[in-house]
Amino acid sequence: MASLRRFFLRLLSVIRPGRSEPDLAREIAAHLTLLQDELERRGMTPDEARLAARRAFGGIEQAKERHRDARSFVWLDDARRDLKYALRLLRRSPVFTFTAATSLATGIGASITVFTAVNTLLLRTAPGVADADQLVDINRTTGEIGVQPILYSQYLEIRERATRLQHVYAYGLNLTPMSLTVETGQSGAEPVFASVVTTNYFAALGVGPAVGRVFAERDAESVVVLSHRFWTRRFNADPAVVGTALRLTDRLFTVVGVARKEFHGNTVLAPDVWVPFDQSRPLDIGLVGARLRPGVSMAEASAEIEMIGKTLTGDPAPPGFGDPEARRRHMGLSVSRSSPIPTGVRILVGGFLALLTAIVTLVLVIACTNVAGVLLARAAARRREVAVRLAMGVGRARLVRQLLTETILLFLMGGAAGLVLSRVMSALVLRMLPAFPLPADVSLTQDARVVAFALGVSFVAAVLSGLAPALHASNTDVGSILKAHEHGPASRLRLLHAFVVSEVALSVLLVVVGGLLARALGRAGSVDQGFDPRGVDVASLDLSLAGYTTANGTAFMRGLATRVRQLPDVESAALAFATPSAGLMGFMLTVPGAADAQGAPLQAVGNIVSPGYLPAMRIPIVAGRDFSDADSPTAEPVAILGEGAVRRFWPGISNADALGRTIAVQPFLIDTSTRRRPTGAAARVVGVASDLVRVRMGDSPRPFVYLPLYQRYIPTIKLLARSGSGRRIAGDLRALVKTMEPKLPILSAMALEDEGGPVVTQLRIAAAIAGSLGIVGFLLAAIGIYGVTAYMVARRTREIGIRVALGAGPADIVRMVLGEGMRLVAIGSAIGLVLATGAGRLLVGLLYGVPPIDPITFAASILLFAGVGLAACYVPVRRAVRVDPMGALRCE
Amino acid sequence: MSSARRESIELLQGTLDLIVLRALATMGPLHAYALAARLEQVAEHPLTLNQGTLYPALVRLEQQGWIKGTWKKTEHNRDAKYYAITKPGLRALERQTSRWRRLASLVDKLLLSEG
Repeated sequence: MASLRRFFLRLLSVIRPGRSEPDLAREIAAHLTLLQDELERRGMTPDEARLAARRAFGGIEQAKERHRDARSFVWLDDARRDLKYALRLLRRSPVFTFTAATSLATGIGASITVFTAVNTLLLRTAPGVADADQLVDINRTTGEIGVQPILYSQYLEIRERATRLQHVYAYGLNLTPMSLTVETGQSGAEPVFASVVTTNYFAALGVGPAVGRVFAERDAESVVVLSHRFWTRRFNADPAVVGTALRLTDRLFTVVGVARKEFHGNTVLAPDVWVPFDQSRPLDIGLVGARLRPGVSMAEASAEIEMIGKTLTGDPAPPGFGDPEARRRHMGLSVSRSSPIPTGVRILVGGFLALLTAIVTLVLVIACTNVAGVLLARAAARRREVAVRLAMGVGRARLVRQLLTETILLFLMGGAAGLVLSRVMSALVLRMLPAFPLPADVSLTQDARVVAFALGVSFVAAVLSGLAPALHASNTDVGSILKAHEHGPASRLRLLHAFVVSEVALSVLLVVVGGLLARALGRAGSVDQGFDPRGVDVASLDLSLAGYTTANGTAFMRGLATRVRQLPDVESAALAFATPSAGLMGFMLTVPGAADAQGAPLQAVGNIVSPGYLPAMRIPIVAGRDFSDADSPTAEPVAILGEGAVRRFWPGISNADALGRTIAVQPFLIDTSTRRRPTGAAARVVGVASDLVRVRMGDSPRPFVYLPLYQRYIPTIKLLARSGSGRRIAGDLRALVKTMEPKLPILSAMALEDEGGPVVTQLRIAAAIAGSLGIVGFLLAAIGIYGVTAYMVARRTREIGIRVALGAGPADIVRMVLGEGMRLVAIGSAIGLVLATGAGRLLVGLLYGVPPIDPITFAASILLFAGVGLAACYVPVRRAVRVDPMGALRCE
Repeated sequence: MSSARRESIELLQGTLDLIVLRALATMGPLHAYALAARLEQVAEHPLTLNQGTLYPALVRLEQQGWIKGTWKKTEHNRDAKYYAITKPGLRALERQTSRWRRLASLVDKLLLSEG
């Protein structure tokens, strides 16, 4: 109690020193007087008595100091004084403060934005779940990138055998599109995206209802839980919807409740509704999660799950594919913390975020270097002040601490502004994301971890960039400075040069990377990617939602294609499983007589397309023919290969000679209507098409194959239509589908240029961030160049004066100053270009065929920085030319 | 900075606090000089500690709420800050005294048995 009271009084004394100090002085004076009185009474003279009293008392200043020590927290007191002093200094040079704080805010803000994304996607569990640290994902490990599904039978086995886990649940990775038909009214079918889950899903995640209830373990199959968002959007948050029936696709479901508002699902995909798993809704890619039993550690759970994985019943192997050893490898299981991004693709997300982290770190380093440079120059101006203080006996550590306080204050201001700025940046990045074909939850929230990160980054950056200038400033030879007026040692100038060179180098790197990404983006949105996306609208359909099957689906597709081609402004139209830019299908190909495989299946990618798809996408057919309406299920199976596939299978054979050869093709995909993989079938090559750039990229381009849609029915298709007039026709497509088949919802509709797929989205975000931060980077570099040149001119005013006095003309002076400034720019640019060469190689997978050492980007960057350098030197050069030789010599 | 030195100061401070409290409890309100005089009187070697050393102890005790200082006039009409022990101070003195006794007897016993 007493010690607590004392603690607060000491703190109070730091904040409000108040009357304690004068009171103490008065008390000591009184003490001395009393002592002196006493001594005088004993017969001393007043002078003797005063001296004796002083002796008896001891050091007055020391006593005061000890009193202060006991009274308050001295270090805190010092810090408070430093802070006050720092604030005064920063207020005195508002331009410096503003520039420094703004550039730091940009750098720190960008770092925070990227960290927020890392935090949301990789570090946190999806929002709205209870006791998140006990939630785990159970993953199949194959050593390859991608999500490996767990079969339902395997899920049941894991659930049965795992003793260290409880609430083992399963869910579909993808959202299942369903059509919601409203019995009354003419609105037609609307798409609803469902997450198919086991009935213990909500209990396992600890998610309760907002209204009604969530699934119970023994729930019947025809129940549905709505997401809060869908409930609000579609039913105006009407509680009366609970208990009513919804017709989803072909069945009636009873609404039992609405999930809690904060919960959007356990992955980044945010379903509209959750429906229980049953035989008619297979988990085509089933994922499994669970909760640790109390007291069980991650490692213990891991060990058990790995054991189970080794002895789990395997997949029914597709006939003729894969050896048993490879299949066993596929069955490894592992446990990881529950994450909104499935473990298998974390590396992809992580890789992209690592790229962004690298970009924002560059800007932060540039901003820090810039501030460090300016602080160093300011330290030069404060040398006298520092020397005086050193002479007065201030400790060096104390001085460094004081100089650092100023820097840290600056950085914390920058950090606070950065935290605010990053909210704006997050919003901008989110706006850049394309319209997702599936509903997703990508809100970026700043939680305590993000704020802690902001504080940490600001503090570390401040110490790193403030330490060198502070040490430099405090490392002052007192005598020489107080005596002579001189402009600081050469080592300081060298340090300043190093700062500017690295700033220029990093800015060049940033600008080149931004330029490369922008060029790649330009190429991705144009014909340069092997097809022409301009003016094409895409609508996604799932014919099974309207009850079509293999028997009648093809006929509907043919009719649809014909009707679309008759729409006004439609130049060409086709149907396909995927667009050229996203969602291609994986195939296994067996090629008799192929060069690099003795009859073993090869991995390939491809698409299932209607006749007219290749011309409509403007993908050239280099040999043979397009598919035709005659390629029906009863006719001979045919295929079209990409050029790369021909070269790979049969090296040295011309495209024309590949025609007529036979391959066996088996899609990876499981047919949702039969729940089985379609069997492999032989097909004759009837055509060879030019490859897509995306497929050509990388070390070993994957073979590409097209199969005829009318021969191999698949219910999930894209309707692609090219407008001849530039008018968007997505609305016409919607209207047409609705009149042809009211029960068939359009799942999504967008321009093909906007679709782009994940690669283009990543490219767009990275290019925007690198580009905008590149501008910040080179502005900062310009400030740095200006600063060092101006400092150099100020330092050499006398020398310039002598030169002018000795007959140097303005041209000589310009050459001297400009030479100095531009030398730094040249060195920095050279280093930057070398770094950019390396960075370009790392980025090659994102560049859409733009060469990593792209002459246009590199040349443009060099020109840009030469211009920036010249502009930054302009003012110092002018100042140097105007040096008055007499004045310069006299002032020394 | 040796820890041994810090410990010795710590011990001295604790002792000093106890002595100050005791002096104020038995002799009534005193100013710092009178306290110092009293201390010198009790100690075997006068002037073993500077009188300035008292001040940290006084501020500590005052902040803990165990003593309270007020400005008054001395009999010779000089200004002086008189410190008086408070009720919590009396209770603390009691606690500290018994603790000190226990500690002292423990140390005594140890020293005897070791010898």
